[in-house]
Amino acid sequence: MLKRRHFLQAAGGTVAALGGLRIAQGADNPLTLAYKAPVPVDTGARGTVVVIGGGMAGAAAAKYLRLWGGQQLQVVLIDSSPSYQSNILSNFVLTGARSLSSLTYKWDLLASRYGVQVVQGRVTGIAPASSGIGGTVSVGTTVIAYSRLVVAPGIEFDAVPGVPTALQGYYPHAWQTGPQTTELRRQLVNMPASSGSFLMAIPAAPYRCPPGPYERACLIADWLRRNKPGSKVIVLDANMDITAEKETFTKAFNELYADTIEYYPATMISEVRPGVAGGGTVYTEETELVVDASGTASIVGSGSAGPVFNGVDVISPITPQRAGGLLASVPAILNGGRWASVNVLSYESAVPGIHVIGDASKTTQPKAGHIANQEAKVCADAVTRLLRGDTNLDQNLVTNSACFSPITATRASWLTAVFQYDPVSRTMKKYLRPAGSSAAGVLADGEAGQWTAENFSQMGKWFNQLMADTYA
Amino acid sequence: MKKGLRAALGAIVFAGQLGLGAQAQTAPPAGRLLASNCFQCHGTNGYSSAGFDKLVGMKADEVLHKMKEMQSSGERGIMNVHALGYSDAQIRSLAAFFASQPKP
Repeated sequence: MLKRRHFLQAAGGTVAALGGLRIAQGADNPLTLAYKAPVPVDTGARGTVVVIGGGMAGAAAAKYLRLWGGQQLQVVLIDSSPSYQSNILSNFVLTGARSLSSLTYKWDLLASRYGVQVVQGRVTGIAPASSGIGGTVSVGTTVIAYSRLVVAPGIEFDAVPGVPTALQGYYPHAWQTGPQTTELRRQLVNMPASSGSFLMAIPAAPYRCPPGPYERACLIADWLRRNKPGSKVIVLDANMDITAEKETFTKAFNELYADTIEYYPATMISEVRPGVAGGGTVYTEETELVVDASGTASIVGSGSAGPVFNGVDVISPITPQRAGGLLASVPAILNGGRWASVNVLSYESAVPGIHVIGDASKTTQPKAGHIANQEAKVCADAVTRLLRGDTNLDQNLVTNSACFSPITATRASWLTAVFQYDPVSRTMKKYLRPAGSSAAGVLADGEAGQWTAENFSQMGKWFNQLMADTYA
Repeated sequence: MKKGLRAALGAIVFAGQLGLGAQAQTAPPAGRLLASNCFQCHGTNGYSSAGFDKLVGMKADEVLHKMKEMQSSGERGIMNVHALGYSDAQIRSLAAFFASQPKP
C-alpha cells in the first residue's frame, strides 16, 4: 500500500505536465485500492432491505446497510442498467478532457466485499403489504420480499417545449450521463469553425446540482474560445439570479468570460422551433417570483415575452425535473407532487416502510451526489436501528454538501454547507453557530470566490474518494 | 489503544455476537454517523486512499485541536468552512470514533 502511494506521488509530475487537462482518472486511483471496511457478523438487525437504484444514493445506502447492519441483514440492490455513469465531472466529456468509460461505475465491489446482492433488471411493481411494514418488489417475474424498501430512482426531465417527440433527442440536456452526453459533445464538435452559438437553459430550483449549469457554461465557453473563436454561450436562467457560488460565477461571467457568455436571468424557454438535426430558434418568456397565501415562493412565467434567439447552432435545455417515475407506482409517495416528501431522520416517505433518498426526495438540502451519499448514511443508520427493533432514531444529525466546480480546463472553485437537524421545523437547516460558541453567528456555508489550480487538483482527489466511499 | 481496553471492547462485541445479555442488540458506536460526514473526502472509516489526510489513527484530542484550528485560522478554504458546521461536543464525538478505529 505504501509502495503504491509513493508510485502515485512520483507519477504526479507526469499528470501535471499534461497541463492539468488529464484529471487523475479512474486508472490512477482504482477502486480496488480503496479501503475495505469490515462487515460485522451480527448487529441484531434482521430481515431484507431492498434498495432500488444504484446511483450515488442507492449504492451508498446498500454499502452502509451492510456495514452498519451486519451479515445477518440481507441487502438487495436493483438497477436497470449494467453500470452507473457519474454526473459529477461529466462536463469534462463535453470538452473532450475525460472519457465516458472513466466515469463508469459498477457494483461488483459492493457484492464481493460486503455481500450486497446485486440484481440487474427493471422494477415492474412495488407492492407494500396491506398491513404492517414490508412488501414485495417485482422485477419481471421475479418477486423479492422486503422488510424495508429504499428507493433512489433519481430524476426525470420535462420535454423541451415546441419540439416534436421524434426530434427531442436533438436537444440533449445531458444532465443524466450517458448517450445524451455523447450527443451534446457531437453537436459541440460540429459547430461552425467560428462565431457559432450554444444556448443552454437552467430550470427553476430545485434542480439537480445547483452550481452544475454555471460550471457547464464556463467549461464550454473556455472550450469554444480555444476551438471555435468568436462563438457565444447564451445562458437562460429561469431563476432570478445565480443559485450557487454567486460570487464565483458572477466574477467568471462578468470578467473571465465577458466576451463569450451572455447571461439572461429570470428567463425561460417558451418554445424551441427546431432547425435541421438540432439547433433552431428559441422563444423565451420572462419569469417572476410569486408567493402564495402560505408564504411559499415559486417561479412562474410572467406572461411577458423575452428575447428571441434566431439561428442557434446548439440548443441544450436542462428542463424542469421530477422524481423518477417508478415512485408513481405507489401514489401516496409523491402525492401528486414532483418530489417525495420524507422524514429527514430516516428518509421514510409518506408510506411506512418505504424510504426515498437522493435527488428524488424533497428536503431543504441540495440535490447532489455528495450529499446524497450522506443522506444514504442517515437512512442506513435509521433503517438498521429499526430492524434491530430500536425505534429511537439519532436526532444529533449532521449532513454536508461539498463540491469543487471547474471554472476553466485547469482551475476550479468550491462550495460547501453543513446542515443540522432542527427539531422545531423537523428539517435540516444550515448550521448557524450559536451565541457563546467560537465564531458565534457564523453560518457554515461558503464558496471559494476564486478559481485555482490547487482547487482543481483537490477536485480530482475529492471525486476519487467520494466514488470509493460509494462504490468500493 | 491499550491491550486491556481492546480486549474489553472485544469482549463486549463478542458478547453481542452471541446474543448474550443486554448488549445483544449492538447500538451504533457513538460518533459514527457524525464521523461518516468525513468519509466522502477522507475515506470510509477515515482510511483515505485518494490523497487527502487519513483520519484513522489520529488521537481524539488531535482531531479536536485540528478542527478548532481550521475554524479560527481565517483562511478561506473548504475545510475551514466545513469545520464550522459542528459543535465542540459533536467534534469530540466523531473524534472518538476515529480514535477507536484500528490503525492501518
